[in-house]
Amino acid sequence: MTAAKLKPRQTYEIVSLSVTPLLVRMMEMGILPGKKISLFKKAPFNGPMAFLIDGNIIALRIEEADLIQIKEA
Amino acid sequence: MEVAEKKALKSIAIIGNPNVGKSSIFNQLTGLNQKIGNYPGMTVDKMVGQVHVGEKHFELIDLPGTYSLYPKSEDEIIAHKVLNGLGVEKPDAALVVLDACNLERSLLLGTQVIDLGIPLAFVINMKDLAEKRGVNIHTFALYQQLGVPLVMTDARNNQGMEAVRDLFQKENFEVGKPFHKMGFPDLLDEVKREFKLETDYQAFQQLIFADFDPLLPSDQQKWLKDKAKTHGFDGMEQQARETEQRLSQIKALLSSTESSGKGTPKKFHAALDVVFMHPLWGYLTFLAIMLVIFQAIFAWAETPMDLIDGAFAAASGWVSEVFPPGVLTDLLSEGIITGIGGVVIFIPQIALLFGFLAFLEDTGYFSRVVYLMDRMMRPFGLHGKSVVPLISGMACAIPGIMATRNISNTKERLITILVTPWMSCSARLPVYIILIGLTVPDQSWAGINLQALALLFMYLLGTVFTLLGALALKYVLRTKEKSFLMTDLPIYRLPRWQTVLLTMYNKSKIFVLEAGKVILAISIVLWVLASYGPSGQMEALEVEKERAVAAATEDQKHELASEFASKQLEASYIGILGKAIEPAIRPLGYDWKIGIALLTSFAAREVFVATVATIYSVGEDVEDELTIREKLDKQVHADTGEKVFNRATGFSLMVFYALAMQCMSTVAVVYRETKSWKWPLIQTIGMTIVAYLGALVTYQIFI
Repeated sequence: MTAAKLKPRQTYEIVSLSVTPLLVRMMEMGILPGKKISLFKKAPFNGPMAFLIDGNIIALRIEEADLIQIKEA
Repeated sequence: MEVAEKKALKSIAIIGNPNVGKSSIFNQLTGLNQKIGNYPGMTVDKMVGQVHVGEKHFELIDLPGTYSLYPKSEDEIIAHKVLNGLGVEKPDAALVVLDACNLERSLLLGTQVIDLGIPLAFVINMKDLAEKRGVNIHTFALYQQLGVPLVMTDARNNQGMEAVRDLFQKENFEVGKPFHKMGFPDLLDEVKREFKLETDYQAFQQLIFADFDPLLPSDQQKWLKDKAKTHGFDGMEQQARETEQRLSQIKALLSSTESSGKGTPKKFHAALDVVFMHPLWGYLTFLAIMLVIFQAIFAWAETPMDLIDGAFAAASGWVSEVFPPGVLTDLLSEGIITGIGGVVIFIPQIALLFGFLAFLEDTGYFSRVVYLMDRMMRPFGLHGKSVVPLISGMACAIPGIMATRNISNTKERLITILVTPWMSCSARLPVYIILIGLTVPDQSWAGINLQALALLFMYLLGTVFTLLGALALKYVLRTKEKSFLMTDLPIYRLPRWQTVLLTMYNKSKIFVLEAGKVILAISIVLWVLASYGPSGQMEALEVEKERAVAAATEDQKHELASEFASKQLEASYIGILGKAIEPAIRPLGYDWKIGIALLTSFAAREVFVATVATIYSVGEDVEDELTIREKLDKQVHADTGEKVFNRATGFSLMVFYALAMQCMSTVAVVYRETKSWKWPLIQTIGMTIVAYLGALVTYQIFI
């Protein structure tokens, strides 16, 4: 599954990132395989999602969250 | 002598991730000794400050906040060019600001700078937060492994700044140990030779930037691309590889130099986000904050604006009294002084708005607004970051357009710049008030005042056209860039007043120095057009006026003065222009007198009121809106006897003022922000066409 579909109040682990022009940008923000990820907040009407990664809150659109493959930790 | 002194001044570039307190350190070191300049061909401002430590003086170059040196926007391109001395003078050393809570992320950039081979030092900032989170950094071990001098600071609380000054004093910048070993040694060697570069990593960056640097000569670009092809070097793939390997090296490094605590945001911050990011309360809070800001801008900006207005009017009057009458005195008093006044008058609004924006930015609230509003903006081809410029546009388009800087996607930024002037700014208000007073009855309908309803409608009209304009541009403008949102929501912090005040000061300075020149030039041209006419006519009128005044009684003098002011405006070049465009504006319900007002309004929309007062010889007391309104109401067309400001003409005029680009200051700011005349010209022509059609339709409906 991808980070676009993770459930609230549950911690996941990032497995891999899809290869797109955004890949490097994600990695440099600290979105990396092996890191723990959980949902912090979700904006209404399928707006951006805010994730908690490494103690940082990072907001992504659903399309970008969909590039992050995760598994339950 | 001058040259020798310049050479002696060592220059140091300061770089770091966004939100690491880089500007805080920059401000603390330089204070008011900051200068804003340009990078040739770029829209990003060049910020340079002076640092004085003991007897030594340094030049500190503030580079934009970035997460890495890879090209994504102009920010990284500038960092790349400055750090490698490409097209600009290479700094002697670099100061890299790292986030103590996010060393892994910070060191990605930090080790990239090490590998460029430039002497550097690290400042590990926000040590207070790291301590609270239980992160322990073994600075000596880090120094031993990287070979880079480092100091720990808490710049917000002015802690550790002495150690930073000490770095400068001792010039303690060292070339670090090469951190990451690159592949493709043969290719990198060739690039190094061709571009006279020193390290492998510089060569690697040069290859990566081949596609992105707009100022790289095309033959060099082709050379780099050909070389990459023969060696099978894929830029994107190599960036990903490098980032991955670098990060795993950093991870290994940190496991021996940092003992980290639990990295979760504090309860207090999470509680704030429960409100600020809430699907309902979040939006209401945002609305309330914007309302407070508006209220404050309208309430607080008015007094200084009145003072500026009065001061320049007094100065202008003083000059025309004291200096001998003549063309030069007129130019000085009515052209130049009034022109400068027209620039300075915007400072209160610009400073206040940027004060509030800097405050919100510095507390960390701003990125929450981007998070909240992104979904609503996207269908219109805009970004969450477009919201603040657009809303600012309701006070004044100028600070709004200046606030588009942080929209990194070129297309979204351009759309925001192009449509912001359609938001109903405060300069339209006096025009609306006069025209609504003339054309809408002061009656209530179902308990709602019709005049208030009309005003609300005008604001909505502006907003609707802004969004529709953005939607249209979304399909017209083409771009390679993909829109995305990927933003850090930093923890909430108390704002630093120094940062807020410096932002207010710097933004006002940019406006006055850069846009001000264009505004001054246009206002002098407008003044000449309004004060001079084809040879003889003006002088003849002047003679006639003097004769009439001499013969008149004291009571008649005022009337005569306004009568001749009207005649002189009619005889001027702008009067002739106004008559020339009459056939074109007839279908909109305007006569040549209104035509003149449309032309003079290009100085600023509110000039409409003063111009119609003069041209309809209402009298000199233009401050009193009620008298103007009463007198305008009595104006009839000489030939037909119909009211000039009837409902159809009034509505058509309001629509025209809502949609036309009648503000030279906005044109000047768009020029400055896009660094070309292409966009302000397209924008002005486009808005004028839409305004013309809108006014035409309105007039034909109501006639």
